[in-house]
Amino acid sequence: MQTANKLMSVRRDLRERDVRVVLVALIIAVATVATIALFASQLQRTLVSSASSFLAADRQLEAENGRPIPAEWLDEARERGLETGRMVEFSTMISGPEGFQMASIKAVSNEYPLRGEVEIQRQSPGGERETLAAGPRPGQVWINPRLLRLLDLDIGDTLQVGERQLEVAALLVREPDGGFRLSSLAPRVMMHVDDVESTGAVQEGSRVELVYLFAGAQTALDDYYQWLEPRLEPSHEWEGVREGETFSRSFDRAERFLLLGGSLAVLLAAVAVAVASRQYALAQRDTVALLKTLGLQGQGIGRLYLRRLALWGVAGVAGGLLVALPLFWLLVGVLGDALERPVEMHFDPAALLPALLTALVSLFAFAYPPIRRLRHVPAMRVLRAQPGETGRQALPDLAIALVAVFALVWLYAGELALVGALLGGLVLLLGILALLGLALMALLRRVRGGGNAWRLAFVGLYRHRQASLAQLSVFAMTIMLAAILILVRTSLLSDWQTQLPEDAPNHFLINIGPESVEQVSSFWQEHNAPLENLYPMVRGRLTELNGEPVKEAVSKDERINALNRELNLTWMDQLPEDNEIVQGQWFSGDETEGVSVEADLAQRLGLELGDRLTFTIGSARVTEPVVSIRTVQWDSMKPNFYVAFPPDGGLRDMPATWITSFYLPGEAKGALGEFSRQFPTVSVLEIDHIIERIQEIVGQVTQAIEAILALILAAALVVMAAVVSATLRDRQREGALIRTLGGRQSLLVRSTMLEFAVLGLLAGVLGVVAAEAAVYVLQARMFDGNFRWHWQVVLPLPLISAVLLAAFGRWQLRPVLSVSPMLLLRRLE
Amino acid sequence: MNQMTDLTGNQSHPMLRVSDLGHRVNLETDTLTILQGVNLEINRGESVAIVGRSGSGKTTLLGLLAGLDTPSEGVVELDGAQISKLSEDERARLRASRVGFVFQSFQLLPALSALENVMLPLELAGIEAPEKRARELLERVGLGERLGHTPRQLSGGEQQRVAIARAFASDPVILFADEPTGNLDNRTGKAVSDLLMELNREQGTTLVMVTHDEHLAARCGRQLHIEAGILTEPEAAREQAS
Ligand SMILES: Nc1ncnc2c1ncn2[C@@H]1O[C@H](COP(=O)(O)OP(=O)(O)OP(=O)(O)O)[C@@H](O)[C@H]1O
Ligand SMILES: [Mg+2]
Repeated sequence: MQTANKLMSVRRDLRERDVRVVLVALIIAVATVATIALFASQLQRTLVSSASSFLAADRQLEAENGRPIPAEWLDEARERGLETGRMVEFSTMISGPEGFQMASIKAVSNEYPLRGEVEIQRQSPGGERETLAAGPRPGQVWINPRLLRLLDLDIGDTLQVGERQLEVAALLVREPDGGFRLSSLAPRVMMHVDDVESTGAVQEGSRVELVYLFAGAQTALDDYYQWLEPRLEPSHEWEGVREGETFSRSFDRAERFLLLGGSLAVLLAAVAVAVASRQYALAQRDTVALLKTLGLQGQGIGRLYLRRLALWGVAGVAGGLLVALPLFWLLVGVLGDALERPVEMHFDPAALLPALLTALVSLFAFAYPPIRRLRHVPAMRVLRAQPGETGRQALPDLAIALVAVFALVWLYAGELALVGALLGGLVLLLGILALLGLALMALLRRVRGGGNAWRLAFVGLYRHRQASLAQLSVFAMTIMLAAILILVRTSLLSDWQTQLPEDAPNHFLINIGPESVEQVSSFWQEHNAPLENLYPMVRGRLTELNGEPVKEAVSKDERINALNRELNLTWMDQLPEDNEIVQGQWFSGDETEGVSVEADLAQRLGLELGDRLTFTIGSARVTEPVVSIRTVQWDSMKPNFYVAFPPDGGLRDMPATWITSFYLPGEAKGALGEFSRQFPTVSVLEIDHIIERIQEIVGQVTQAIEAILALILAAALVVMAAVVSATLRDRQREGALIRTLGGRQSLLVRSTMLEFAVLGLLAGVLGVVAAEAAVYVLQARMFDGNFRWHWQVVLPLPLISAVLLAAFGRWQLRPVLSVSPMLLLRRLE
Repeated sequence: MNQMTDLTGNQSHPMLRVSDLGHRVNLETDTLTILQGVNLEINRGESVAIVGRSGSGKTTLLGLLAGLDTPSEGVVELDGAQISKLSEDERARLRASRVGFVFQSFQLLPALSALENVMLPLELAGIEAPEKRARELLERVGLGERLGHTPRQLSGGEQQRVAIARAFASDPVILFADEPTGNLDNRTGKAVSDLLMELNREQGTTLVMVTHDEHLAARCGRQLHIEAGILTEPEAAREQAS
């Protein structure tokens, strides 16, 4: 068997172009899938930890009643291997050399922050920034830079907090848990938790929020919450990263995009491997017939080729990983650049599993069947060519292969919608193809040969009709997959950009008294930062639903944040631009009845139009029916309200303050000091740093997406090359014959290029149509976005594919043109 | 392998016995009869030429005799083994141990050197020291200097000599040849057929050969004619044979 095995040494394999294509396809597939999986897991790690840093921990437990939680709860957490920390938040009056100011205090324990970093400045202002994973030491405070001006303070001065004097050690630029709560609007002072008692600011009955921080492994956190949940009281709130965080939805989409990319890589690889290995098998038929004639048995043949496959698999996986690892390393570097901080490389070996599975499935579901059939090649073939393999034999293989690859995609992406959309797109495509193919061939049959390039091209298409149809299907499929990815990427990016434009509001003004609305507005008008969305705001609690207390009306296990805290209520006559009515009608001109409820809240409360809601505002009660349900853009950085009343409606006699958000460029921030002096009661909330973070993250995810897209397009090119080279030998022989028979070179070149251009154009059009259909489903089901047609993005694809294929065609004619026909015919013998 | 040894042990039967052999293929609309009513017996050590016009069914018959294909009807017994009763693998085993082939188009594996091409059947038959035997044979056919060359580097005549060396490599009891000189010029063809007949005599192999070449046919002990799928044996030749 040594000699028989020698027939297939690696070096010999590499000389075989079909084997090369199989290997390249495998390598790209493994590389793409491995890179994506590794990167997705890294991204998750990094983003979750930056998302976690929005909480300064993985989870927070808030006690809004201001009473400490039992020590036993914390002990339990530590026993489960979780890190814990503690914060106390309250508002109090502070004073410096110059006047008093209401401040929002955050007192933190030594462990703070468990996740993320605090950014401070030790020299005022404009000095060097410093990030560290710690809070101020006892006896010190870090303060919002605005307080310097408001209280005429300097770094190193002492600040009076209640009864205690504390040293101003640094300016607080950014806190990791920079999310905002409306209860803490005044400028921030961060101090150590041990100093709280000595300030005397926290007394029985004062409004204090205790926050406990937890960090650790996901499973430990989940287990702990299971243990904790039955013990929680209504005033306790357990907060995780994913809930309500501004960008978590964007991140979800990015993750899905990566999965989609990986799935497409799997499909493309499978197609390339299938095409190339079928070609390989066909080319091996003569060898197999001879080996059989010389007495090799079916089993021996099977073993021979199985060993081959195994070797390819090993080579493909090894090569793929060799490509994937540096690529992953590079991407992590990019990630670090985007985040402007070193990112710890997180290599997750489990992420390699999908890549291995892809190689395995590609080889055994796609490459193996045609190769397995080799053992049935009749020995008689050595004496006379036997009728070739019919397509019918390959049909069951195709079915098995499709099931296998879609199972793989499912396993990989875990999304039935994705599998469905891809499968649907493919079926649609194949259906159209079948019809079109039949019609086309009927048409082409009429074209008879002649000296004209167009005619020769059409005759060529007809003569190779089986191959033409097969090529058309594969090209169309490839283009469809590439187009899907391009489409999804485009809409994903444009969604993000519209969500977070450069000039998205980055400051909130809250607590504007009715009497100063005018002045505040004109102040910012003068400073070239006009206020756009000014809304009145009334704080109230939702207490009754159709006359029943809400807590009873709503099932217990639904935990509804809105019920635990006061809601921001407003009135407005116009529906904000980015809101959308999903049920009912917006208030008509002079209507004074009813409320409009945000859709998520309505769903969680099980609200329907006409349900009567009772709000307790101060000591007053207001009851109104639900007249409309609307969606809001939570990540728009504009004031958003769960519940809106009409002007002159239920809120007309309630004491209101105004709220607004606006865009203030970094260089204009100096105006904030003056503003605070002029309007001391108005709270300024600076969220520009949060927005910066979000934009950074979007930027980095975008880069990752572009990289993945490039990989997939490379895979698509390999598929095309595989398919074109499949008929290479036939075409070269024909080309040689045409030349032998006196055909001019230019005619040969033009007709071949035309033939491929027509094929490419057709495949492009079909692929793009099928892609739009698939994206329609994907968009609706996976990316919960509104479907938008993006014809302009994919329209060039048919043209590109036509040109590309014509070039491929020209390229494969090379040997036919450069060598004498005599030599060529002998070589192709 | 038991069955095999059993078959070889018994020397009483003819090398090849064919009775009522017929072969048909199904075409799109009707069936095409390629061979019908073929009866034939070939004894050990005989050399038999099958001649006939192009398209008369020679190659088809040879394929059936050699067990490369199974007939639509009738029986082929090769060295006592009824071919249509053997499985595909058993037929392969039979070929490996006792059948040799020479083809019109040489059928060497282009990826292997001359030496490797000759070694291949030796290894498939499980014969020991395949390389030594292969070298000897290649020297015998006059290609001792070309062992490492691949078929593409050899002329047609040289390729056919490699093929002959390969055919005799595993010491077959019967050798099938389909127009072994068909692709060669007259002089080369003569040299190749000389070599074939010589080796055949030396090894005492039974030879069944399809050929257009009357001289070559005449050098065989028996000549069979085939026309439109019907096999006939000229009176004179039969008498000569008996
Ligand atoms: N599988 C098949 N399907 C259809 N026709 C076949 C098949 N096999 C053989 N034939 C036909 O049977 C006839 C005999 O073929 P065969 O190859 O045996 O002829 P031959 O005598 O070897 O001719 P030549 O001398 O040209 O090689 C031919 O007409 C051939 O076309
Ligand atoms: Mg023939």
